[in-house]
Amino acid sequence: MPAIEVAGLTKRFGETLAVDDLSFTVEQGHIVGFLGPNGAGKTTTLRVVLGLINATSGTATIEGKRYAQLSDPVHTVGALLDGGMFHPGRSGRNHLRSVARAAGVSDARVSELLELVALSGAADRRAGGYSLGMRQRLGLAAALLGDPHVLVLDEPANGLDPQGIRWLRDFLRQLAGEGRAVLVSSHVLAEVAQTADEVVVIARGRSVAQAPLAELTARSGGGMRVAGPDAPKLGELLRADGADVTGDGDRAIIVKGRTGEDIGRLIAANAIVISELAPSGSSLEEIFFELTGAEGGPS
Amino acid sequence: MSRALAAELFKLRTTRTSWAVMGGSVLLVVIISLIAALAGDFDSVGGTPPGQDIMSIAGLVQIFALVLGILIVATEFRHGTITPSMLAVPDRVRLMLAKLVAGVTAGALLGLVAGVLCALIIFPIFSARDIDSEVTTGHVIELIVGNAAASALFAAVGVGLGALIRNQVGAIIGALGWLFLVEPLLGIIPGFSDFIQKWFPSGASSETAGTSGLDDPLSQIPAGVLLAAYAAIFLVAGIAMVRRRDVSA
Repeated sequence: MPAIEVAGLTKRFGETLAVDDLSFTVEQGHIVGFLGPNGAGKTTTLRVVLGLINATSGTATIEGKRYAQLSDPVHTVGALLDGGMFHPGRSGRNHLRSVARAAGVSDARVSELLELVALSGAADRRAGGYSLGMRQRLGLAAALLGDPHVLVLDEPANGLDPQGIRWLRDFLRQLAGEGRAVLVSSHVLAEVAQTADEVVVIARGRSVAQAPLAELTARSGGGMRVAGPDAPKLGELLRADGADVTGDGDRAIIVKGRTGEDIGRLIAANAIVISELAPSGSSLEEIFFELTGAEGGPS
Repeated sequence: MSRALAAELFKLRTTRTSWAVMGGSVLLVVIISLIAALAGDFDSVGGTPPGQDIMSIAGLVQIFALVLGILIVATEFRHGTITPSMLAVPDRVRLMLAKLVAGVTAGALLGLVAGVLCALIIFPIFSARDIDSEVTTGHVIELIVGNAAASALFAAVGVGLGALIRNQVGAIIGALGWLFLVEPLLGIIPGFSDFIQKWFPSGASSETAGTSGLDDPLSQIPAGVLLAAYAAIFLVAGIAMVRRRDVSA
């Protein structure tokens, strides 16, 4: 039985279709990255899985049961969701204790988890004064209270500094090593690339891919990356010539259907200044944009 | 159920707001009781025994119990803590019932403490001032128990109202607006004032407490049943609302 199974899930908020006939599974002991741009329907999907949002149609089950039917939810599923889930006036320790009381978890376990997420020192301060990173770590501690074998984490890297992201990555690996199933959402592919066994990519509420990461990387065509002050100008020339050109930031382009030499000749013929010309490593972001149809602009 | 209730009682006692509401209202009762007992002129009071009249001061906490009931639910929606609460107790009816029991417990306790303190302050002062309270010990106990019951039931109304409206400020303003604005304004209608004081929520709560100013009030137990019916209406509507609602923050 899969740890998490989402089948034909559709959620409509009034006129807005947030999730559209989405299906995917998370097997026991696997880490699955749940990817998509902001607003793609990731959080809505996770909240349906956790029984917080009612599906318009379709089902989401955890070990074969709907969340509300789980006899001991805190010991089965741990969840970290986006947004403030703490009362700003309650201490981190008391926040965990309030969840622990509802789930029959001991205060000793609360202290143990505070230690694990390195929050013991701040545990008795009001959570309202916590930094974003501390809040995320407190949320992770809450998710792990019942020592669950399934974890649902919504953008856990949000607000973490590079050190924190590295800590999280090691932490996720450790959790999966212990045989737990982890469904972790992110809008940044690179964040989960090093940890996820496979990824589910969604865009506008629909699944666009579910595959092991290596398979997705291989699927992508690659191309040549050209960077430098005149890169946009070169891009126009190439486009006029019928090449497939996509922007990669202000001063770089990715060119498909042209060899490095083709591009080099064009550069020489037009006295163009560039600083870099190299095969694109079919960067993860590129695959991501390709799959989701999202632009690389600010969002 | 006991776990969910333990969690609710724990949440209630780990925020400053609930202590401020309870402590502030009890302090208010103590101060007003002191002033009234020391400086009040009780010869002019008509039919109401002075002891009963002044015990109505303890009834101030009923409003605060209502606010406390609202806060127990609405605060969770305001800060998003409803998410972890529902994750731990996914049966929303059970979660809301746990909140109801927590609210009723806190309300009863608040009403009891206020009533006892009020009595402990006024009766020694009365005897020192040589004022006849015109109430028996049995009657005073009825007033204290009545105040505890009225506060508990008002807290239950608050839990229902909080679930129905969920917006903390909106629910509190709505409840206080009803009690201090709508009911008094309706009372302006000739002949309607007594009806309101007998049958409407604030009237039912003073009747439950045994401190109604009416000549012909409901006695404490029927008034308590009436107030419980008001609470039931809000609770059924509120729980139905919370039950089918999407929780997205």
